[in-house]
Amino acid sequence: MSKTLLEIRDLHASIAGKEILKGVNLTINEGEVHAIMGPNGAGKSTLSAVLTGNPAYEVTGGEVLLRGENLLAMEPEVRARAGVFLSFQYPVEIPGVSMTNFMRTALNEKRAYEGKEELSAREFLSLMREKKKLLELPDKLNNRSVNEGFSGGEKKKNEIFQMAMLEPCLAILDETDSGLDIDALRIVAEGVNRLKTPQNASIVITHYQRLLDYIVPDFVHVLADGKIVKTGDKTLALELEEKGYEGLNL
Amino acid sequence: MSEMIIHKGERFERVYLNEPGLDLHFVQEAGSALKIHVLNIPDGVSRCRDIEISNNIVVEQTGEGCRTEIYGLAYLRGEEKVTMETHVHHSVGGGTSDQLVKFVLDGRACGHFIGDLKIAPNAQKTEAHQTNRNLVLSEEAEMRTQPQLEIYADDVQATHGASTGQLDESALFYMQQRGIGKEKARQLLVNAFMTDVLASVSDEETRARLLDTIDGVIK
Repeated sequence: MSKTLLEIRDLHASIAGKEILKGVNLTINEGEVHAIMGPNGAGKSTLSAVLTGNPAYEVTGGEVLLRGENLLAMEPEVRARAGVFLSFQYPVEIPGVSMTNFMRTALNEKRAYEGKEELSAREFLSLMREKKKLLELPDKLNNRSVNEGFSGGEKKKNEIFQMAMLEPCLAILDETDSGLDIDALRIVAEGVNRLKTPQNASIVITHYQRLLDYIVPDFVHVLADGKIVKTGDKTLALELEEKGYEGLNL
Repeated sequence: MSEMIIHKGERFERVYLNEPGLDLHFVQEAGSALKIHVLNIPDGVSRCRDIEISNNIVVEQTGEGCRTEIYGLAYLRGEEKVTMETHVHHSVGGGTSDQLVKFVLDGRACGHFIGDLKIAPNAQKTEAHQTNRNLVLSEEAEMRTQPQLEIYADDVQATHGASTGQLDESALFYMQQRGIGKEKARQLLVNAFMTDVLASVSDEETRARLLDTIDGVIK
């Protein structure tokens, strides 16, 4: 049996005093892909925000362990260095900070955390080139400010590109399919699939079955009103697509 | 006060770095171009010497078709106070003026920008733009902005904008989510805010040296 990567136990969280997560339990092992589906407002994005340490959210109960360590006690940047990666639903534009400078800083901070030496400029640039090919991203983006003026599709590809650079053990894809046309969706999904290893895992948050045709999940969870109310295999997503959340008789 | 005449068709460009008490008066003749960068980014040494700094820049366009560019940048901490005053006077038409002034304020620092822009009744076809953007990093820091526009000609293009804000929290979190420490992320954002004022320095070597200076001060 593969090793446990993430354990979420009875997680409660709120934003601005309103409870959104009301006792989430979820265990993720290495090598697994978990899809989380659910109606708007169920808490899907809150779950990704809480796992990554977004300061806007308050954890009011429960615990989360990453390889047995208390994830919730770590600063957001430490969680990232430990291998938790979020592909943002709305990637943030950072005017004046170039992609190259941003990515190099991020990668070197992670390497320092792992006790590795910094990459030289040359090693770094050749790594950028290699990973960019995976996402079919043009080289000219290197000198542009982070996400500034990128199209919707480029922003999402850029998220997966960063994931390729940082090689996380746990990737959370928060509605990565939203705003993508079918070609971009295929490129993004293929990128994610090629990054899959027996040691890493991913949480795929989505509204639609469509993405799961490309990134095939081992488990599908339905999150409703702050709790996981149903878990199944990939056929659950098809069932949801057909009958809607109403048809589940929760 | 030092007065300088920029003669017909001449160009003048200069960077003033950490010159407290700067008081400049430029008279521009027809078709001349002026570009100045006034930077207050005190290092450890000048920091102890001058806590209150005042810069006054007066520009008069006295001939047609002049071009004026004024860039201002101040990075203040502790108890530092900087007042930057610009007076741009278009007395003749067909000229342009562009001003970009930025303050970054930390600690209990105070920034004050007075931007006085006059377009005389016969200065038609003038194009004048004034922008003041400020980044406030602490709760005790204070910024005051006083744009003063007096426009007496009707066929002109004149804009002014002022904004004072804090670091973008969502950008900070985005960077932290990629493993960049909060302090480092702040530095990158402050640096990005400041460096675009220097993009207009024509001499590459000077620009590179100033970027290094900013790097050294922010760290």
